[in-house]
Amino acid sequence: MSIGHLPEALVRFDRVTKRFAPDVVALDEVSLNVRAGEVVVLLGLSGSGKSTLLRQVDGLQQASSGTVTVLGSDVGKARGTEARALRRRIGFVFQQFHLVGSLTVLENVCTGALGRLRCPRLGLFSYPKRVRREALRQLERVDLAERAFQRADTLSGGEQQRVAVARALLQRPEVLLADEPVASLDPESAAQVMRLIRDISVEDELTVLCSLHQVDLALSWGDRVIGLRCGRVVLDAPVQGLRRDEAMSVYARVGVDPDAVLATTG
Amino acid sequence: MTRASTRPPAQPEPAKTLAPPSRRGSAALLVILAVLGVATWAFVDLRINVATVVDSANNAVEFAARMFPLDMPPLGELLRLCGQTLAIVVCATLLAVLLSIPIAVLAAGNTTPHKSARFGARGLIVLARAVPDVVLAIVFFRIFGLGAMPGVLAMGLHSVGMVGKMYADAIEQIDERPRTAIRAGGATGAQELASGVLPQVLPAFVANALHRFDINLRISVVLGFVGVDGLGYGIATAFRKLDYQRGMALALVVLVLCVLVELISGAIRRALLRPTDRRAPRPAAGRTPRPRADRISPQWTPKRVRRALYVAVTALVVAASVWGAELSPARFLAALGGLDTTLGLFWPPELGALLPSLLADLWVTIKIALAATLIGAVLALPIGALAARNVAPSDSVAATFRGVVVLIRGVPELVLAIVFVVITGLGEVAGALALGVGAIGLLGKLVADSLEEVDPGVELAMRATGASRWQVFFAGTVPQAAPAFVGHLLYQLDVNIRSATLLGIVGAGGIGFHLLNASRVLEFGVVTTVLLLVFGTVLVVELIALWLRRVVR
Repeated sequence: MSIGHLPEALVRFDRVTKRFAPDVVALDEVSLNVRAGEVVVLLGLSGSGKSTLLRQVDGLQQASSGTVTVLGSDVGKARGTEARALRRRIGFVFQQFHLVGSLTVLENVCTGALGRLRCPRLGLFSYPKRVRREALRQLERVDLAERAFQRADTLSGGEQQRVAVARALLQRPEVLLADEPVASLDPESAAQVMRLIRDISVEDELTVLCSLHQVDLALSWGDRVIGLRCGRVVLDAPVQGLRRDEAMSVYARVGVDPDAVLATTG
Repeated sequence: MTRASTRPPAQPEPAKTLAPPSRRGSAALLVILAVLGVATWAFVDLRINVATVVDSANNAVEFAARMFPLDMPPLGELLRLCGQTLAIVVCATLLAVLLSIPIAVLAAGNTTPHKSARFGARGLIVLARAVPDVVLAIVFFRIFGLGAMPGVLAMGLHSVGMVGKMYADAIEQIDERPRTAIRAGGATGAQELASGVLPQVLPAFVANALHRFDINLRISVVLGFVGVDGLGYGIATAFRKLDYQRGMALALVVLVLCVLVELISGAIRRALLRPTDRRAPRPAAGRTPRPRADRISPQWTPKRVRRALYVAVTALVVAASVWGAELSPARFLAALGGLDTTLGLFWPPELGALLPSLLADLWVTIKIALAATLIGAVLALPIGALAARNVAPSDSVAATFRGVVVLIRGVPELVLAIVFVVITGLGEVAGALALGVGAIGLLGKLVADSLEEVDPGVELAMRATGASRWQVFFAGTVPQAAPAFVGHLLYQLDVNIRSATLLGIVGAGGIGFHLLNASRVLEFGVVTTVLLLVFGTVLVVELIALWLRRVVR
């Protein structure tokens, strides 16, 4: 995939504010640029605005003020078909996998192709053969091809998350968003999923925004760390040369030991 | 995790991309298709079509002329009838709740003392559900004589079939952790139930009791045709005397009463079952005064006063109902004394010359139920989908269709049946149309609820891939709700077989007619035969449903 013609800032936030109620501010005047091919880790306490920030990127939530520009289009202005076309170019991996448990693994992956299919899948019929073949190839990439015809709810958490990654890959995305993709996995599965996302993003030259809770994982995994606190960017630095205690400062609250906070938030 | 670490061998290019069919899945599909096929055939065979309805337009006009002006009874009489109906229904529902709680504790897998107790309790529940309440009413009339008691007992016992099952399901769904903690504190089994289980299931218990109250109100009207006091008895008497002006006036009262009760109980149920707001309340400085140090019970905030008032009003209503229904324990016990001679009348079942015509009419009843379920499904699936907030194009559309569903649910099947009997004449078509339209009320609600209960994360994930509204619906929402749909449709079929039997009594075709006739001419052996036939049919449907629900998940 050629990314040469794209503007340098693939994702651009310009003074973006998001309120859920007059007095609940999730994002407070956030400005940032993400360049093509960057792997960015978002750090911050629960409720600091990480998920909200990611959902602004593909327009699942609309900003209250400010502009979000992704892949050259203004997310806030995109509606209907345009919004869907933009979302198709952005993959999203969720913390809770969000698979249809009663469908097979392969069918779950196939839903990633919905954005470029015209008809609704009518339940009785399956997806076109070329989609199913491509889905099987993506399943091979995440090492789950032999589970293709199992029900999704028979898989372990780590496996389900890899299915979700395959689903996002079937979109042939240019940007990959991941919202705490390993927060509900055991350390071993977590490492496996993170390695997979990293390898694939290098292979497919993806731009990645991933929120995480584990500071050490973030430092060994990303190119750049953005720290959020109460909806504000409090840290934005390349991983290279970033000290652990600097990263930990994102979690600091007045009079609270950051390590104690981490222990409770996992 | 370890199994996934070895790569599968590279597949040759036309790799298999369709899941191999499983034997159980194919069998389930065949059964579903067969049921659908028979239902379609029944629909065609009963000649339910627009032409039939149009042909009968004259009947409707003629009937309407005889119906107006409506003749309302004097206000005092009207209030007495309403009060009587409500008192009977409250007592019946109360009886059902009192019986259901211990049965549910035995039937729930996590509270049952022993596996055999569980099977016994589940069996009792299925039994209660399978015996139609109208048959129970006929039997109890013979035992206890006319009055409110047979109605209360018939509806109360039959309701255990639904209430007991819902209660057992609610107990099985609780969070086990608090209960474990209570047991760890050295509590007895009863304490565990009272402090660990009851607080969790109480909202569901109350909501289900209210739901059953709505249903019983409608059934009580039909039971009026076999002699249960109240509005239904008034309607039945008026129709028997061909006094349509009085009969339709009372039917209108029933309609209003049902819609009112439905709206009130619906509001209470929604308030009870609304998930509690998990966000901590904002500390409002100065609003709540600091409790005194020696205070050991909560303060009388407006909220607590309101709650206490609800409890007091409920207690008053129950007391008034028990008094109003004139239940006499003395008569109850006296009647029990002569139980064996009365029951002797019902045994053995009459299997004589009537059997062929009974079987033919049973088949008609089944056809009515199947056709009605088909009509209901065709109407309720789109209406239910539009009533679901996550599917409807806007919240106002969802609210509108929810309103339609509630309104239809409020209309008693009896009133529908009367209306259709008027339009299409006595017979099967009226029954099937009445049940079919009535099914929108229950089925539409169940469809909407199961659509709203799907994991919203899946829909979010699909939207994030750039899928359109229709694609999200068909690829994400429907597959999640489909197993529930199958369950709901079978449940509706189950309900319809019993209702078709009931409506036969008012002349809507099928085996119910024999039931009424036999009880009038005191051929109780025939009543038993009809009971066994309907019971067997319902049991077969229950078994198919049980199996399908296990396969289609």
